[in-house]
Amino acid sequence: MTDLATHVFTGLGVLFFLAGSVGFLRFPDIFSRLHALTKADNLGLGFIALGVAFQAGSWRQVALLALIWALVLLAAGTVSQLVARHALRERDGR
Amino acid sequence: MQGFAFRHLLGRIAFLGALWVVLSGLEPKALAVGTVAVPAAVWLSLRLLPGPRHLAVWRALRHLPAFLGASLLGGLDVARRALSPRMPLAPGWVEVPVHLPDGGRVALGAELSLMPGTLAAGTRNDRLLIHLLDVNAGFEDAIPREEAAIAAMIDGEPAPREGG
Amino acid sequence: MTVWLTFMAMGVLVSLAGALVRVWRGPGRADRMTGAQLAGTSGVAVLMLLAPIEGWATLDVAAILALFGALAAVGFVKALSADGGGDPEEEDGDPVPLAGDRND
Repeated sequence: MTDLATHVFTGLGVLFFLAGSVGFLRFPDIFSRLHALTKADNLGLGFIALGVAFQAGSWRQVALLALIWALVLLAAGTVSQLVARHALRERDGR
Repeated sequence: MQGFAFRHLLGRIAFLGALWVVLSGLEPKALAVGTVAVPAAVWLSLRLLPGPRHLAVWRALRHLPAFLGASLLGGLDVARRALSPRMPLAPGWVEVPVHLPDGGRVALGAELSLMPGTLAAGTRNDRLLIHLLDVNAGFEDAIPREEAAIAAMIDGEPAPREGG
Repeated sequence: MTVWLTFMAMGVLVSLAGALVRVWRGPGRADRMTGAQLAGTSGVAVLMLLAPIEGWATLDVAAILALFGALAAVGFVKALSADGGGDPEEEDGDPVPLAGDRND
């Protein structure tokens, strides 16, 4: 049962990673590409963390998985803003 | 006021202590190092973020399910657009006036960047610049709602709802 | 389970490889900057997937990578900005009209 959950969630996670990369390649401008990367990859990482948590042997491993995801989420939200702002300045020639 | 400051300090110790236990486990050796590391981290956090404003933790936690749901929808939406052969996109911009204190705007921007169809790209004259993946999908309707939620987390009081 | 998780880790690496095509082609510097963030997120995902196989200590590595990936990305933005600005709340000066543009 727990193995099934791991299969399903890690599989979903990888699908979101692949979708994020497809969007990053196909979308027409840098801002749309940032949408694809931040949203899809972080959701993918969340599903992977959830899937791996079903294999964990202790509460600390589960908490660490959640902590790492939260850290990446926080970083991605901040970094995507910085990169988008930089891209906007670059486009406006400043 | 002093009671408040004491509770504030206890909150930081509890949070950073819990973080230490998650990172390094409950072995006696790890806890021994923690007796030095945690006070040092508390001191550093007070130096870097001394503010009297406090984050209403339970309000933030209460907002968590809604945020996780929205970021799930955000990922699904962008994956659908990326994988669809037609690739339905109508990118555009909106400028939204925000009335959040320092730190609030960047939190709002980070949150919006993980929610469906919105991406923050800095501020200009107190207006948040938001890139929309699809100008016809009404993604910007979520912005005033999220602003109110974040204002409530910072002040510990429900903020007046303001339109964008 | 070992086989499945290894394949999933390979799937993440395939998606990273695909995205690196965009980093290679650009065209903007911002496209390339995202490479730093991308490598961090993908690396964290691979380390998570390998944790049940290789031992849970890989999660400690993943935590460090998540932390450094964020710092590296901020560093990239700061290094490439003309004024070295990295604070997202810093005001931009003269307003440039935004309405109606949808190019890159």
